[in-house]
Amino acid sequence: MQFTKHGLLAGLAFGALMAASPAYAQVTLKVWSIDGVDRPGIADTFSKEFDDANDDIVVEYRAIPFDEIVNETLRAFATGNAPDIVSFDNPDFALFSSRGAMLDITDRVANSEIIGKADYFEGPLNSVTWDGKLFGLPKYTDTIGIFYNKDMFEAAGLTEPPTTWDQVAEYAEKLTDPANNVYGVTFSARAGEEGTFQFLPIIQMSGGNADKVNTEGAARVLDIWKSLIDNGYASRDVLSLGQWDSTGVFNSGNAAMAISGPWEIDRMVEDAQFDWGVALLPTIEEGGERSSALGGFNWGIMANTQHPDEAFRLLEFFVDQEDRIFPEFGNLPARGDIELPITGEAKKDDALKVFQEMLQYAQPRGPHPEWQRISKAIYDAEQQALTGQMPAMDALNQAQATIDTIFNQ
Amino acid sequence: MTRSHTPWFLLIVALALAAVYLFPLYWMYVTSLKTGSEMFANPPTFWPRDPNPGIFAEVWGRRTMPTFLTNSVLIAGGVTAITVILGTGCAYVLARYRNVWIDIGLFCVLMLQVLPASVMVTPLFVGFNQVGMLNYPRTAVVLAAAAKAMPFFVVLVRATFMSVPRELEEAALVDGNSRIGAFFSIVLPLARNGILVCAILTFMTAFGEYIYSKSIIQSPSLQPASVGLSGFLGPNSTDWSSIMAYSAIYVTPILLAFVILQRRIVSGLTSGALK
Amino acid sequence: MSRISNWLRDGVGFDILLVGAALLFLVALAGAPLVYNVLMSFQQVDMFTLGSLIRPFVGFDNYIAVVRQPEFWLVTRNTLVFVFGSMTGQFVLGFALALFFAQNFPGASTIRGLFLVSWVMPGLVVGAIWSWILAGDFGVLNVILKSLGIIQSNIFWKSDPNFSIWAVIIANIWLGLAFNMLLLSVGLAAIPRDLYEAAELDGANAFQRFWTITLPMMRSTIGAVLSLGLIGTLQQFDLFPALTEGGPANTSNVAGFWSWQLSFQLYDFAKGATVSVMMFLLVLFASVIYVRSTRHEVRG
Repeated sequence: MQFTKHGLLAGLAFGALMAASPAYAQVTLKVWSIDGVDRPGIADTFSKEFDDANDDIVVEYRAIPFDEIVNETLRAFATGNAPDIVSFDNPDFALFSSRGAMLDITDRVANSEIIGKADYFEGPLNSVTWDGKLFGLPKYTDTIGIFYNKDMFEAAGLTEPPTTWDQVAEYAEKLTDPANNVYGVTFSARAGEEGTFQFLPIIQMSGGNADKVNTEGAARVLDIWKSLIDNGYASRDVLSLGQWDSTGVFNSGNAAMAISGPWEIDRMVEDAQFDWGVALLPTIEEGGERSSALGGFNWGIMANTQHPDEAFRLLEFFVDQEDRIFPEFGNLPARGDIELPITGEAKKDDALKVFQEMLQYAQPRGPHPEWQRISKAIYDAEQQALTGQMPAMDALNQAQATIDTIFNQ
Repeated sequence: MTRSHTPWFLLIVALALAAVYLFPLYWMYVTSLKTGSEMFANPPTFWPRDPNPGIFAEVWGRRTMPTFLTNSVLIAGGVTAITVILGTGCAYVLARYRNVWIDIGLFCVLMLQVLPASVMVTPLFVGFNQVGMLNYPRTAVVLAAAAKAMPFFVVLVRATFMSVPRELEEAALVDGNSRIGAFFSIVLPLARNGILVCAILTFMTAFGEYIYSKSIIQSPSLQPASVGLSGFLGPNSTDWSSIMAYSAIYVTPILLAFVILQRRIVSGLTSGALK
Repeated sequence: MSRISNWLRDGVGFDILLVGAALLFLVALAGAPLVYNVLMSFQQVDMFTLGSLIRPFVGFDNYIAVVRQPEFWLVTRNTLVFVFGSMTGQFVLGFALALFFAQNFPGASTIRGLFLVSWVMPGLVVGAIWSWILAGDFGVLNVILKSLGIIQSNIFWKSDPNFSIWAVIIANIWLGLAFNMLLLSVGLAAIPRDLYEAAELDGANAFQRFWTITLPMMRSTIGAVLSLGLIGTLQQFDLFPALTEGGPANTSNVAGFWSWQLSFQLYDFAKGATVSVMMFLLVLFASVIYVRSTRHEVRG
């Protein structure tokens, strides 16, 4: 009796173990990013592929709109519902990495056979670094340059794109044609991150950065921009247009030059009924210091993950697939060791070459945990100067005062 | 102008006013048919140069519109049900008496509507997480949105109850009805039109509920159409024609229902309880 | 037991049950978040403590910090202009339309029904459409104003600091007009016709009839419209990100958008909550007015 009872128990236990084992061995990873809401993107496609290829790991992917991902993650983190892997816009990354919300992956990356830290561009890599440690990896990158309408340049007797801001002003005057509703140049000085995105490179060219914004050079370029608006060479609506809408004005033939980035190329190929090209973002002096904006997203593993090893395996998989992100999704890899394939569309290939070169000069915004507050000080100052509410230098000084309190906290 | 011409003159004025007011609606349809850059053309084109009606089918196919719209209807239906059931009784009592407690009650109802949804969503998220409601996200959204819709409904329906003569209810009580009986057999039927209309307005508002849904509902298969719309906004790009086509798909059926039902809706509200 | 059920069916218990159920629901789902926000405005908040109520107290530090922000007075002024401008526009135009559609002419109620469209259009879309209409170069409003000879050169509604707040007000008047018109129509319809007939016999002209009959009879409706309108205006959000994002340089920033911006764009949750509590005080004031307006109600 005793014997059978034991046998029964053992059998039961064994059965339970058998039944439980597949579920036990399976690890679930939650991945959040902005991709895949509208069309397939990097994160949703690769997550699904990894999920299909690995029986021991289930990947649950969630797409969140761009404007929401930081707030959703903050809320989820505070209530213990955070994902294992998340993807943020690069200036938002430091908010999490500086507070220990992201997993330190310095050693894992150093030991990885797939990930090579040296392959990445310096700017994107800085945006995932905090306090000398690596808390994430760049996912893809972006930057800005100056698009110009070659047909209009030809008609105005210009052959080369402008290389300095003074030249931009000079050319804009020649290219402006009020009778045909054509502005010389368009850009975005909107009250938001896009405004800072386009203006911070100017501060950096003049020797400043997020912690030092009141430079002579930045004030000078602001004065140039203001004169463009006041003279009617640029629309006053640059103060409220986002980059996408501002470049729409260029595409419809209502502006001869536009400051924007590689994400515009496909739409431009389709919509623009003229010949166009891209040049490096102009500098303050001829041959002066170069800089450009650094866009794009980063990957990170959240510190509270239950499965850091599996999450890192997934991250390695993402990195391993990076040669596909340009041909399949049109995003630029943040690495110098991946050659972009020729697309056969001449204007597109030329433009990409320029942006690849520009990327070497791209500098991150921050990284700083309070980046958004710094950013607001910068775009507020820019707008105060461009609307004439304050002289450029006074506006920049006021921004500097706000920024000092943020840095000295 | 003779007296008999006046109504027709007024009709023309009314049509002109409606045309001006509905211009943004027209602009939504026209923009959905324009190409990406034509919408930025200067001068603006009042009719697309090269209309692309295929956009509607494309957007319908690209997004799971039927799922989104079903969820919108379910959420709006739930919000309306809770609001009507809880709000009607509350409005009735607040209309029936005239004393300081009623003042306090009305005051509370209004004050509880003060914070914008964007500010309320974080505490609600935390609270729903505590009680495990996040596992039933649509229900959680219905509860949260009903709380947001309730004060509006109460204030409006209270006005409807104000127009039900007190004597009719008292007569019913004298005839031996209980309070509950008089409420259901006399007062409610008399205020029916107003309640119905306020319910429809609540439904329409809840149909577009966005802020709670986008945070609380994580699975796309449970999200309403309003959340699906925000997917067209990218980090550097905005697919304006698709946004407009999507919202045209989403607005047009409601608009049609409205034009068909409007005689009942508007006259229900404006004819007063007893006419 | 039966006494209790009797009390519930036939006494004050019935009233308390009806009000109590609704109020309990509201306190749980709207009151608790309110308390959370008020509490947060006196605390130091970061991403780790977002989910709990126990956080370090800082007294009035957040309030002091908010008032010391360089944009505080500008935002306060804009909020008052926005609320006053929007509500006046919505109410006056809404009342005019309500009076107009109260006339007896063919199609009156059908056409009035069409005005409710603004209720069903998603906020994102309304914002985007107005952003095009108000654009300086390719905006339809400028084209129309120019062809009518009202303006000579384009007005940059969204980008000129002198106009930016008015750009949002114009769009907001459009949004709130239907609501005002509908409620005021309801109020108008409830006024007994015979009052007007009697006044007409007494020789009162249209203006006198409006002043002595319409306005006094509609006191409670007007109270409801204005207080709900104030709450709606303060909560207006969708138009700001689409039109100006509060710019240029905060010249169109108002308390509601600023509170959102502080909390969800700058991740300064405590300051965001503080601004929302300040707004709450404004609405407190409006509610008192509404409740007082109900004092003079006449019951039909």
